[in-house]
Amino acid sequence: MNQSLAKPLGAPTPPATTDGRTPNLYEVWGDTVAGRDLMLSILLGGAVSLGTFGLAHVALHQVVESVQMAKAYSMLVGILGCLAGGVASAWLFKPKRLVLEQVVDPAFRQQVVAELLKEYGSLGRLEELSPHVVAELHELGLYELFREAQAQEALVREADAEPDRHLPMNASLVGGRS
Amino acid sequence: MEGLLYEILMAFGLGLLGAVVFAAIGLVSGTDETTTLAPLTMLVALLGAPPAGVLTFFLAGAVAKHMTHAVPTALLGIPGDTAATALLADANHLRRLGVPHIALRKMISGAAVAAVIAVPLSVLFAVLLAPFGDVIKEFAPWVFLCAALTIAYFSAGRWAAVLALVPFVLVIVALQTLTAHYGVKLAVSYFLGIAVAPLIASLFALLAPDERERMRRDEYRLFSLAPDVKSWSGYFPNPFKVINPKQTRMTAVAASVSSATFVFSPVAMTVVMGEIIGSRIKQAYDRLTTVITARNGVTESTYIAEALIPLIAFGLPLSPVAAGPAAPLFNAPPRFFVDNATGEINNLHNLLNTYEFLGYGLLSVIVAILVAYPFTMNFAHKAASFVARKVSHESVIATFIGLVLVIGIWEGGLLGVMVILTIGLLGGFLARLIGFNMGVQFMGYYTAVLSVPAIIALTGA
Repeated sequence: MNQSLAKPLGAPTPPATTDGRTPNLYEVWGDTVAGRDLMLSILLGGAVSLGTFGLAHVALHQVVESVQMAKAYSMLVGILGCLAGGVASAWLFKPKRLVLEQVVDPAFRQQVVAELLKEYGSLGRLEELSPHVVAELHELGLYELFREAQAQEALVREADAEPDRHLPMNASLVGGRS
Repeated sequence: MEGLLYEILMAFGLGLLGAVVFAAIGLVSGTDETTTLAPLTMLVALLGAPPAGVLTFFLAGAVAKHMTHAVPTALLGIPGDTAATALLADANHLRRLGVPHIALRKMISGAAVAAVIAVPLSVLFAVLLAPFGDVIKEFAPWVFLCAALTIAYFSAGRWAAVLALVPFVLVIVALQTLTAHYGVKLAVSYFLGIAVAPLIASLFALLAPDERERMRRDEYRLFSLAPDVKSWSGYFPNPFKVINPKQTRMTAVAASVSSATFVFSPVAMTVVMGEIIGSRIKQAYDRLTTVITARNGVTESTYIAEALIPLIAFGLPLSPVAAGPAAPLFNAPPRFFVDNATGEINNLHNLLNTYEFLGYGLLSVIVAILVAYPFTMNFAHKAASFVARKVSHESVIATFIGLVLVIGIWEGGLLGVMVILTIGLLGGFLARLIGFNMGVQFMGYYTAVLSVPAIIALTGA
């Protein structure tokens, strides 16, 4: 579940602790938690869910005729108890996440196009697109970005295709001698 | 007639409930399909819902979840669930191009198209396979053994996973013998143990000082939430306008192909279908958007096909989805069961006929689309923001710990909880260290329950 995120804009702010202490932060099961909060959440979740399940178990076995159904219903109540425990700990312990509203940066877009070129080997040609996709690109304001990148790619390709045998080793975009 | 009407109404109601519940769960990242779908479907089955209602609850839930999982994936860059991990790279490219709303809309429109196609196709494939059903049922213990070995070999662990099946199966057999000694018979506890294994392994690691240092982080995790863009009027945008004809075609093809390949893991199919489609499209933006559309379509079609085909054709859980998230449709003792000793199958396979599967399957898909599609289109940004800011990871973990305790105690008292813990710890570390993933672990469980008695009978004779 671990994946690196795109770096957001602006410098990351340090954890905002309400009481001035630095919490013990850990990455557990794919996200960040604070040690103390996690321990209390688990205790709370366990107590609330087992408590509701136990109460339902005792109460329902007296009210409901069929033992089978009483058991199934106490599980339902127990699962609602799990949810209640979860809601209670969500209410008590705030997420250890910083959420930034992202603004689009033109430099970001250039970078993505460069990555796509690397991944796919070529950006392809806008001329081959169906009118639907062209209209979509215009609407999103991405047409110019891809047009420029495509022109750039063609230039690089032309330069590489020239029969220059003294090119440095790293200029082997179209193969060269290996 | 009245009975039928009641049945349809119950199926509709439970489908609606499944769609609403799992549309909400889909928004919370890290809520694996098996961990959430299996216990809740089990609950619905044990509470005595009519067979059609159990099916619609599961299918509508799975379809709705695979639509709303696009919200954290597209807007926050974190996978909504296990299937969504295959979509993350494409979604991140689109997010950083500044068009996350396009990623989101393409994904859920692809999901809607694929889900509608997958139901009739799955039923068709199941009907074609049904004649082989009796042979497969007769040799079920050996089929499961072969399936377990195959799925293990194709997991990340390769031969390590194949060999690890031996101790893993042995532990399950040993635990069953132990609990039988105290008159306790467990099934759900094993499933839940496997499903929450990564969490249990993480929590144990956190208690060990060395591992704890490795898990330590200095800062809060940063999430950048993509801005909200709405470019249509009304509440229910037409999916065929969101994706273009070529994307619809590609999604339909991907959904059809992946409906037929029901024995492979959904995540693997999602990756592979995306690669195949991507290699045929030259222009980068066209490729990116078409691939993400088709890929999310495949997350729907594989789930539908992998649940429906084995259910209709064999009644045995012979696919990764059937062995995991859809397991309660096959096996929810004492109500639904596959009895190895007598070869008796009593589950949705014999409780519903082919036409009912088709009808209720389509009903589930339509209900899920009506719930999740407009919700995601209109409230994705608000929902992602709410989950990221209000739902702490601690509370998600607390909920699952509660679930482990309740289900464990409910099924087998303290023994139940200890079995969940044992299987979870073993499975979690095996998955982490040698890629012995959840799918293989589920097959390991079936090997222990179905194949081992057959092997013993064979060697004993």
